[in-house]
Amino acid sequence: MNTKTIFRDLLLDHARSPRNSGYLDHPDLQASAYNPLCGDELELALELSGEIIQDCRTQVRGCTICIASASMMSEFILKKTLSEVIISSKEFSESLRKDTENISEIMETFRPLISLKLHRSRIKCMRLAWDALEDCAEQFQT
Amino acid sequence: MKNHSLASKVCDDFPILKREIYGFPLAYLDNAATTQKPQCVIDSLLRFYEKYNSNVSRGVYTLAEEATEIYESGRESVAKFISAQSSRNIVFTRGTTESINLVASSWAQHKLKTGDRILVTEMEHHSNLVPWQLIAQETGAELVYCPIHLKAGSNGVGLLELEELEVLITDSVKLLAVTAVSNVLGTINPIAKIVEIAHNRGVPVMVDAAQAVARMQIDVTSWDCDFLAFSGHKVYGPTGIGVLYAKKDRLDEMLPSQGGGGMVSQVGRQASTWADAPQKFEAGTPPVAEVSGLVTALEYVLEVGMPQIQKHEKELTNYTLIKFRDFADLELYGPMKITDRIGVLSFNLQNVHPHDVAQVLDEGGIAVRAGHHCTQILHKQLGVLASVRISFGIYNDVSEIDRLFSALDRAREIFLD
Repeated sequence: MNTKTIFRDLLLDHARSPRNSGYLDHPDLQASAYNPLCGDELELALELSGEIIQDCRTQVRGCTICIASASMMSEFILKKTLSEVIISSKEFSESLRKDTENISEIMETFRPLISLKLHRSRIKCMRLAWDALEDCAEQFQT
Repeated sequence: MKNHSLASKVCDDFPILKREIYGFPLAYLDNAATTQKPQCVIDSLLRFYEKYNSNVSRGVYTLAEEATEIYESGRESVAKFISAQSSRNIVFTRGTTESINLVASSWAQHKLKTGDRILVTEMEHHSNLVPWQLIAQETGAELVYCPIHLKAGSNGVGLLELEELEVLITDSVKLLAVTAVSNVLGTINPIAKIVEIAHNRGVPVMVDAAQAVARMQIDVTSWDCDFLAFSGHKVYGPTGIGVLYAKKDRLDEMLPSQGGGGMVSQVGRQASTWADAPQKFEAGTPPVAEVSGLVTALEYVLEVGMPQIQKHEKELTNYTLIKFRDFADLELYGPMKITDRIGVLSFNLQNVHPHDVAQVLDEGGIAVRAGHHCTQILHKQLGVLASVRISFGIYNDVSEIDRLFSALDRAREIFLD
């Protein structure tokens, strides 16, 4: 897959019409993340029922990859528990390692992003939403 | 084959330019971040470790004497390069940032008090803002910002508002910190004139010459600035070496900020006396190999010739400015007049994030910077989060600019309908 295919066929749809975009009126957890390299900003809000993520919203000022990654993550985490999605977050990080060749089945959703991992400076763009998610999970634990 | 005379003359001197990126010859357009190194600079680092390595100013044997000679004659070369009064005015540091921090901690910290002001400009790099913020927080002083003309279409867009600068230099201003050249807008600031304005009010001036050093003749004596900082790596030299120039009176006012070997005269159990400047500010084993590399880089620049470098950069910048006019979707920041600027050009492609642009350019072998370029204050003033920046070096030529514009077409194809 070349960059044009990845962006045009897989990522631009998410970047142009991000899923679960916006704010929640009464979030149970919220976190923001910032990429000091480019100034991109992201806010994540979660509504929980017990440990299950019932609703989520992201608000992103960022590049195509950052917005698309947040959009894909928001679809992925809905109706899953915080503990589950934190394991996925670690798996996502693992998939982005330079020397990781195979990716787990559950990470297939994120293949278009992962396929751009050789652009190491874009890893932070891909991770920004997940960093906010981990922040939310930490708040939940404490 | 490079088709520009200077580029074709020098490009073989830079081994890294033989690299291919994604199958394309490297077009390195990020010279404002760091410049590439000619073979002679790389050789000079090697030669030091192969033939002269030893500590300086400490040993009474041939190697130590030779290393000391390399280091101290390096100070003289630097002094000459920037027309300083004497090598005693040259302090070696790790880079521009450390030089500015040295002035902040060794001079400003004990000179400033509550109510005092440090005058900076909205176009400063973080390295000429944050050290002053730290000192301001410690001393109770505050930072005041000289604005920039930013209105599109107005005359002198991207230039400092000098009338405003005159208004802002009040009695409470104890230091003016200003860059000689903007690392984003490419603006050349009239340093001699700014220093004159400041000195008329008795205000010392610190000049950030990080971007100027490889692009114009620096003359600290005619500029009359009190402090000036630059880095070796931005003038085709190695990383880890920088310079602080300070007038003798200012050096005398500075207190040491780091203690250790080499900066002392006599050490007692409770207190010590200091070596004279510049050694007073160079605690520990200094970067001798790096000084050797820096001197070689400065000699290389002199050999290529500053007038030739400036002519070459003007040609590339002019060519690019004219190209920019053809595209309504490219927003260029900074002066449009060639006499007001150097070959550092920041822009945005409408509706495409700079990171996305830079990735597509990289896949065409074109290295540019994308982000806020350590100027968050300036980018806020510009009303954007980030921008794409191209910046020329002596080895760039017009074919690389043509490649850049073709790659921008590809970015349009990918990201825009």
